[in-house]
Amino acid sequence: MDYDPISVALKFGFLAVLYLFVLVIARSAFKDLRRTLAPAPDSTGFHAAPGFAEAPRGPDAWLVAERGGGLERQHRFDLIGGLSIGRSKEADVRIDDRYASSLHARVFSREGRFFVEDMSSTNGTLLNGATLQGEADLIDGDTVQIGDTVFRFEVG
Amino acid sequence: MTSARNRELLALVPVAVLLTAGFAGVFSQENDQLGNLSLVYGAYFLAICLATHVYLRIRLPNADPYLFPLLATLTAFGLVMIYRIDETLARDQANWFVLGLVLFALTIHFLRDYEVLERYRYTIAIGGLLLLLAPRLPGIGQQVNGAYLGVKVGPIAFQPAEFTKIAIIVFLASYLREHREVLIVGARRVLGVTLPPLKHFGPLLVVWGASMFMLVFIRDLGSSLMFFAAFLALLYVATGRFSFVVIGMLMFLVGAWFFASTVPHVHERVEIWLHPYRDPEESGYQILNSIFAQADGGLFGKGFGQGLITVPGTDQALLPAAQTDTIYSLIVNELGLFGAVGVILVYLLVTARGFKVALLASDGFSKLLAVGLSSVFAIQAFVIIGGVTRVIPLTGVTLPLISYGGSSIVANFVLLALLLLVSDRARREAAEPPGRMATMGPAA
Repeated sequence: MDYDPISVALKFGFLAVLYLFVLVIARSAFKDLRRTLAPAPDSTGFHAAPGFAEAPRGPDAWLVAERGGGLERQHRFDLIGGLSIGRSKEADVRIDDRYASSLHARVFSREGRFFVEDMSSTNGTLLNGATLQGEADLIDGDTVQIGDTVFRFEVG
Repeated sequence: MTSARNRELLALVPVAVLLTAGFAGVFSQENDQLGNLSLVYGAYFLAICLATHVYLRIRLPNADPYLFPLLATLTAFGLVMIYRIDETLARDQANWFVLGLVLFALTIHFLRDYEVLERYRYTIAIGGLLLLLAPRLPGIGQQVNGAYLGVKVGPIAFQPAEFTKIAIIVFLASYLREHREVLIVGARRVLGVTLPPLKHFGPLLVVWGASMFMLVFIRDLGSSLMFFAAFLALLYVATGRFSFVVIGMLMFLVGAWFFASTVPHVHERVEIWLHPYRDPEESGYQILNSIFAQADGGLFGKGFGQGLITVPGTDQALLPAAQTDTIYSLIVNELGLFGAVGVILVYLLVTARGFKVALLASDGFSKLLAVGLSSVFAIQAFVIIGGVTRVIPLTGVTLPLISYGGSSIVANFVLLALLLLVSDRARREAAEPPGRMATMGPAA
């Protein structure tokens, strides 16, 4: 068997370029992993990950995810300072629901009471099954429905 | 900080170098001299890639920078290996590559808002399935080695399964985005395993039925496995329930086992896989020689153009279907274990980039589409590499972008176009200043 030096050089050259190429791309993939700023969602990115930071004091009201919206069932969203709910990134509670508007509704507190307000959404918000007009007072156990997504209001 | 497109441009240079070095290697072996033809081919290849790059720069400036160079690398591998087997086939392959890029550009042009795919999902799914069944139609269908995979209409021959895979992924991504809720809600835990409610086994059963039907009707275990595994990957991502994957795999194994013992062609393939030495001169010939060729390659291979494809002095094939089924064995033979691992690494990186696109995407359909497309690409590579290494029965699935075949090249570049469309939007949105993160309390 003869070893043609050019052929051997080309083979190893080919392999060297191939591995350098793969290395560079793999390195950038690792860099991307490290650069992730926001706490990563869980493996599939669909389910809300458990909260990372404990609230400094016990919150006194929550929205509890009942079903839909791509949210983990029984997941509790603290209502400190209020929350906006919608399909867009800007919403505090982002729901994956085809009937939801980008900023669909918000929940806010005023003088120790909590209110839910529909933000002129396309398909409306249901409070205990009835269409919500403007804003309304929330009482423990109320359900808020946006499209196919249902939340329960709970006071602790 | 270099922009995405500049990184893509830089990454295309080594790809062209690879192609040039590969061609030079083949030429030096065949002609005993180094002409400048390999440089000419390298330059052509680089020019075509650069044209595509400029198009991407204009249309999808934010798309993933490495996907296109990675797929170009695979194409370069294919061109070099096919050229080494047969010059005219390589010319065809190069034409297919250009046609693939034209379709790639057209897909990007017409599907900028790829959500329209969701609206036509049933049409797409039915179209895909009809295509899949076309090889069984009298007149246009073609049977190759017992499997019905090809269609020939006049001078145009193609493998519909390559296009069907994209159609099915689009359909499943859209369907699962809408229905994944019901698959999770009402799931019960039995003995620590989450089982979907019985009535929602429906979709799982339908897809399982479809892939079993393919097994019987198309008689190709590889395509059947490819479709079903891609479905399970999507189902897992959509629901986050690993138990679905386990149940699905068990269902597939039981079904495949049943049909392997009843459908003659499938049975034969499984028998060859399990007992290749029973008939080494006939049925076991391909798989045995494929494995010998790989073993013969050693760590660094025999060098370009030095592997044996035909029995010396005769026309008898030593490595049957070297340009399609067993092209991976030829790569291992000529570039050794290191070359083979390099190829597999490129496939892995394509998949990793695809999953990254899915992670960045903000809506369910984009996520599932990116996951589905990258999964089906990876699974296809697994099915054929697994086939020639005797991990699973050898079937007629192509090694994406490396195997000779127009359908495979064109379909995979359309697949890349969709992936880049998703990627462009996802990265553009990710680059914008992020909104407030959802305030999340301690999990209940």
